[in-house]
Amino acid sequence: MRKRISAAAGLAALALTATACAGGGTSTPKSDTSNGGAAAGGKTSGSGTELAVPTGPVTITFEEAMTIGTLKPAMDKLVADFQAKYPNITVKLQGEPDYATMYTKEKAEVQAGNAPTIGQAYESWASYFQGSGVLTPISELAGTDTPASMSTFYKGIQEDMKLPDGKTWMWPFNKSVLILFYNADLMAKDGQSEPKTWDDYAGVMKAVSKDGVTGSTIDPGSATAAAFGTQWFEILAKANGATLYDKDGTPHLSDAGVVKALQYMKDLKDANALATGKNYPGETALGAQKGMFDISSAAGYGFENKTVGGKFKLGITALPSGPAGAANELTGTNIVVFKSASAEQKAAAWAFLKFITSPEEQAGWAATSGYLPVTGQALDQPALKDFIAKNPYETAAVSELDTAFALPGFSWIFKCQGYEATAIQEALENGKQPADALNTAQSACAAAKAQG
Amino acid sequence: MTTATQASPAAAAPTRPARRGAARDFRATRWGWAYSAPAVLVFLAFVIVPTGYTFYVSLWKWNALNPALSKFKGLGNYRRLWESTQPSFLSSLWHSLYFTGAMVLGGTAISLALALLLQRGGALLNGTRVAVFLPHATPVIATSMIWTWIFNYKFGLADWVLHSLHLPTSQWLQSSSSAMPAVVIYSLWHEVGFTTVVFLGGLAMLSDELSEAARVDGCSAWQEFWHVTWHQLKPVTVFVVAITAITSLQAFTQFYQLAAGGPAYATTTLSYLVYEEAFVFSDTGYGAALAVVLFAITVFFTLVRRRTATGESHALV
Repeated sequence: MRKRISAAAGLAALALTATACAGGGTSTPKSDTSNGGAAAGGKTSGSGTELAVPTGPVTITFEEAMTIGTLKPAMDKLVADFQAKYPNITVKLQGEPDYATMYTKEKAEVQAGNAPTIGQAYESWASYFQGSGVLTPISELAGTDTPASMSTFYKGIQEDMKLPDGKTWMWPFNKSVLILFYNADLMAKDGQSEPKTWDDYAGVMKAVSKDGVTGSTIDPGSATAAAFGTQWFEILAKANGATLYDKDGTPHLSDAGVVKALQYMKDLKDANALATGKNYPGETALGAQKGMFDISSAAGYGFENKTVGGKFKLGITALPSGPAGAANELTGTNIVVFKSASAEQKAAAWAFLKFITSPEEQAGWAATSGYLPVTGQALDQPALKDFIAKNPYETAAVSELDTAFALPGFSWIFKCQGYEATAIQEALENGKQPADALNTAQSACAAAKAQG
Repeated sequence: MTTATQASPAAAAPTRPARRGAARDFRATRWGWAYSAPAVLVFLAFVIVPTGYTFYVSLWKWNALNPALSKFKGLGNYRRLWESTQPSFLSSLWHSLYFTGAMVLGGTAISLALALLLQRGGALLNGTRVAVFLPHATPVIATSMIWTWIFNYKFGLADWVLHSLHLPTSQWLQSSSSAMPAVVIYSLWHEVGFTTVVFLGGLAMLSDELSEAARVDGCSAWQEFWHVTWHQLKPVTVFVVAITAITSLQAFTQFYQLAAGGPAYATTTLSYLVYEEAFVFSDTGYGAALAVVLFAITVFFTLVRRRTATGESHALV
């Protein structure tokens, strides 16, 4: 068997070289059969000793997608501050235009035996990398699975750093939650007020949907990518008291609370208070004064503000709550450390990870990028205090980081979110009954779980 | 003299087979192999080996990041073709055939009509030829992005035009029923320039004598087109149909950019599904199985076409 695999690996390398198809090839990476990753019983406990900051010159590479708008200067500042403190370490950014491209690049680089030192990753991506034995656990860097600074992070963030095996494989980076942007002038004109519950929200949506204005326009996501519309659906389900997935990933997509969430969305669509689109349609509609609300990431503040362009007062508030209380979902990615990095690179990467989550850097990062600080200690920093004074919504958004949920970190959850998005499309666009659409999603997700 | 005249062909006769034999011998020599080796190697490396390797991968639950962790599944990935529901293999196949049929019928008819309209010369018509061909010269990814906005049902140009003409508007890419027609419209816009030029080339080579004779014999314009012009264009038409069918089966970029296979898998073709499974979901073995099936379908259509094509039309493709 090993021989056949080696032969296949050779063929793979030849095929990849020949086709120069870095993104689509299946070439042989630096296969590690001795470890086989954590899934195969790899080394997951640390040596007990934290890696020291290297003293000699080291270059680490960072595959990231913070390349547009305010994100790029925020990213550049993090790196500049780090390199000023550690002049012997060079952080080479490998910027990508979007997450999908970044993930494709990361996989191609690993396959080609040229993985970056660190890279942004969603939980399900990290699960795929970990299952393939190409990640370094945090314990190998920090000497413990629960580094001291981790305890200062918000509880939701702490949970999000682990994979289902219970071990810490990721370090938090650009985290956020969803918030509600709205046209404050239009709301005042229509005699409406900020909705506190999802029932209120439906009432306002229907009341303002007239004269060419639609309550809100969402991107329901697609089979290959969840969008804010998908996450809104998940939040509604949680606010109804539903459990979308057990910790072991068992899906409950056809449970009553989940069906109720989709029925809620369908009712709004049927009442012409909700529309669907692509490419941040809520932001576009809000900016064009064709939409009242946009449910988006708190990190989207800069983009929303730019789209509105001072045409009206942009209102911002926390998401309404449901029968089971307030619910919100984490957005954004974490950072993973790839196993192929040298010992010096891993040590430098660990220094970088700790540095960017320090209260000082988190304050600057949050104020510039719009993402939320992962540690409450950042709120005491002058840079973030100034930002919060101008943007009071930040306090409410940050407070949800303790309770915000993330879907279980299995690689196939990515597929299941696609099935959720398809169910939303079926119900909103094709008139399918929510229960039927979600039954289909449930079956497909259960099959994906069985496939592993 | 007579003898000499007769002797000449007799003398030439044995030399012809000798030359053919020499040519065959040369191809069989080391030099023959040496001269053809670069092309053969490139073909092997770029086509044969990856194709065979894809089939090999299709037999595994393949871990592209660490092949050592791959698990042999035999024909398991092919069985999944019939078990999968989101989307089903058959629905994706149907979408591929729907798109291919629309492109072959629509593309051939429109490009033939355009070629007939533009075949006469003149500055205006030459300028129009350039305008018709221009979309084909643009990158699919870039123009697809623009058409995403043209098809936007709130702010897009397409609905604005329909609304201005008091015609019913459409949800275009947002609706399962109109998404595939929207992709076909874009693809026709992008592709007919090329096939129009092919038809124009064919028309330029036609003999005027047959048309003149047909007109003298009292043929109507339609009869002349049907029995004379298009009949002579048969080899070109076969080429256009074959090339359009093959490129349509392999079309990917517009599906990726315009609709991402949606909504609700309405534009998920086999090509798109291969990408989705292999490169988005990293289900490389299953994606490879889909690619093998797509390959088999393309080969099937090519063989059917070769069986049905004869004579000059066969020589073109």
